[in-house]
Amino acid sequence: MAVLTPYTFIQCPCSDSSTLGRPSDPNSSTITEADEDERTFDPRAPRSNFSLYPLEYLLYCEDCHQIRCPRCVSEEIVTYYCPNCLFEVPSSNLKSEGNRCTRSCFQCPICIGPLAVTSIETRPDPSLLAAPDNTAAPHSGPYALTCSYCNWSSTEIGIQFEKPNSIHAQLAKLRNGGSTRLTAKERKERRKDPAYRRYQATSSGEGESDQTENLDLETQFANLKAFYQNQLADPNSADTGLAALGDLGFSSPTSLSRIMSIYTGGSLQDRKAKSRLGAMREALKPDEGLQFAHLDESAAIETLRGEGHDGTASITQLVDQPPNLGEEHLHGRSRFISELRPIPYLLRTKRSKRCPVCRHIISKPEAKVQTTRFRIRLVAGSYIPSIAIRPLSLSATAGGGGSSASGATLPGALLEPLKPAHFLLTFKNPIFETIKVTLGAPAETPGRFASKVTVLCPVFEVDANTDVWDEALREGGATGGAGSGGGGEKGERRRGRYDEGSQANNGNQLEVGKIWERGRNWVSIVVEVVPASLRLDQGDAPLREDEDVLEIPLFVHVEWEGEAGGDDVLESVAAKDKGGEAREKRELAYWCVLGLGRIRK
Amino acid sequence: MSSRRAPRGEYIETETGNKVARKATLLGTQNIMLGGKTVIQPEVLIRGDLIRTIQASTQSGAASNNTAVSIGRYCFLSRGCCLRPPGRLYKGAFTFMPLRMGDHVFVGPGSVVQAASIGSHVHIGTNVVVGEFAIIKDYVRILDGTVVPPNMVIPSFSIVAGQPARLIGEVPEGGHEAFELRGLYKTVGNNPQPAS
Ligand SMILES: [Zn+2]
Ligand SMILES: [Zn+2]
Ligand SMILES: [Zn+2]
Ligand SMILES: [Zn+2]
Repeated sequence: MAVLTPYTFIQCPCSDSSTLGRPSDPNSSTITEADEDERTFDPRAPRSNFSLYPLEYLLYCEDCHQIRCPRCVSEEIVTYYCPNCLFEVPSSNLKSEGNRCTRSCFQCPICIGPLAVTSIETRPDPSLLAAPDNTAAPHSGPYALTCSYCNWSSTEIGIQFEKPNSIHAQLAKLRNGGSTRLTAKERKERRKDPAYRRYQATSSGEGESDQTENLDLETQFANLKAFYQNQLADPNSADTGLAALGDLGFSSPTSLSRIMSIYTGGSLQDRKAKSRLGAMREALKPDEGLQFAHLDESAAIETLRGEGHDGTASITQLVDQPPNLGEEHLHGRSRFISELRPIPYLLRTKRSKRCPVCRHIISKPEAKVQTTRFRIRLVAGSYIPSIAIRPLSLSATAGGGGSSASGATLPGALLEPLKPAHFLLTFKNPIFETIKVTLGAPAETPGRFASKVTVLCPVFEVDANTDVWDEALREGGATGGAGSGGGGEKGERRRGRYDEGSQANNGNQLEVGKIWERGRNWVSIVVEVVPASLRLDQGDAPLREDEDVLEIPLFVHVEWEGEAGGDDVLESVAAKDKGGEAREKRELAYWCVLGLGRIRK
Repeated sequence: MSSRRAPRGEYIETETGNKVARKATLLGTQNIMLGGKTVIQPEVLIRGDLIRTIQASTQSGAASNNTAVSIGRYCFLSRGCCLRPPGRLYKGAFTFMPLRMGDHVFVGPGSVVQAASIGSHVHIGTNVVVGEFAIIKDYVRILDGTVVPPNMVIPSFSIVAGQPARLIGEVPEGGHEAFELRGLYKTVGNNPQPAS
């Protein structure tokens, strides 16, 4: 069983149906609290799986004063790039070339490792051509793609290349086994070629004789599309096929238009369509896109006899394969590793994110592939306090284990059922204002096994995150006489606290309403839990996965006074008695889940 | 404080703030460049002796650069990890190439790194193998036990795991600060301070 490190997940307001799509309302400042008090958030509810995030994953909208999560933000793609060669791909290329790198970047179909172009003549050395000065390499083709991890080589599927560059284009012309095939462009030309069309028409006209022709995916799609377009255009398309079903058929143009009219409003009904009787027929010939399914699997069985289980591809391998547009539709029949092909790298993106409510951009990376800077990056971590969890072992502190109260309690140690355990929650304030934190937790955790929870100090203030300069100065090596004034003093005070830490903690008693420890911009408080017994009575359902994890729901309400933000919606609450500077009261409330540990079974 | 302290101090602390454990093995120290404030824990092995044996002919004018391993500021090399310059055939002869590492790179215990370059703000977990000539860009997290195949390129903001490594996620916008190693730097050395 994996060791469980304590965690804090925060619930984004987007999962709450009552606040869905509603910006925070200044005139009813207590509405969230009142609402939330009525029902306890259950971290084990199936829905919760989709709304809980670690703090790092959350963004913050400064206009709505609200947390935003990966689920509710709307994303816009800024840049497409190949994760292997790191070249940017213009979005215009995406339509024509698809969403994979068209240079020479491939992944191994067996193990997903990167493939390198190597010369077949010399001893394969994967690192050789990856180096910048590969042009100086004395050897020449033919070349193969080889995996530096599992040693797979494209020669195993009978594929080798004449040139070491533009592998993507070369591979498009090669079938597994080495025979050539037409490229997409050539197939398109061929489809337009009257001689080819005539050939197709005659051969298909003769009925069964044509069953051998395999349409590649692209050609089949083009044929089908052309066929259906003809059908829709032709008002007298009622001939053969499914005509018997008449108006009730799903393939009938009238039923299609009837369905459309339901969704678009009755008045928009296409009167012309009404006159169209009969059904559209389905494709009957290969040039209409008909492709017979190959039901004869004797060849596959024969291969399986020869190659055995080792010759078959795993589901992961099959899933990683891109659709092979140059071949016929396999309908999931590709099962052997000899049929796998090198995987061109999927492109990756850089994306900007918008607030779903006010549409303001809350995250925007710079467009260049190689830069990691952001133009806008409003992360929740710079607006709401972080919560760190640490087990607190009271007996250990008495033994002089240093300032750290964690003492003998090993991280990830199992919690004893029915035995009180204590945890230190450290709230760190990221903003430049003092915040008032109010916590709410149900006395018993929801779910089958109710553990008792007591937050010993549910209301406290955390000092502002002001003297960052003090820390920066000490950081720079200036130790003693650094930070003159308040900052340095505070720093000293803090260090002093550490030195006396062990004594202070020895004196610390678990007292209701008292904070355990405080620092520059942080406060530690104690939570007492009495883990439930996981004993199951006869007839009880067995323990579900992770049901032994002690998770406590915690409602966090944060209040602070900020500078009035001009036309801000919260202006009405602005405190007038603060002379000069307009101050306004701000608040934020959300549920979070504290994962404390596993209970001993 | 009553912490048991080795008589001479467990670490050698240099003028630029590097903290190098006495029990670390640095071969070819003249070829190892440390940017400052880097922590090298006990049992770390850095193969500075594996220098490039063939100089690129085009750069004959420049003074021959013998750096085998260069490490930026605030890097943290955990106990038992190994940094080894990658080697390959170049014009028919075998040569090593330098291993370059940016700032705020954490290398976990027992990991072996043979990359060509590692950017800044990179976290390499426990018992990771980074294959020869891998290129790891900035803000990358490599989870415990990962094997990064030779020549693999890992772009910025990737989270990779597995054997061989595959992309399993992206570093979220709020996760950038977690790569910062200034705090960790303070917690080791001859006068360690508690983590804040
Ligand atoms: Zn959300
Ligand atoms: Zn590429
Ligand atoms: Zn492979
Ligand atoms: Zn907004």
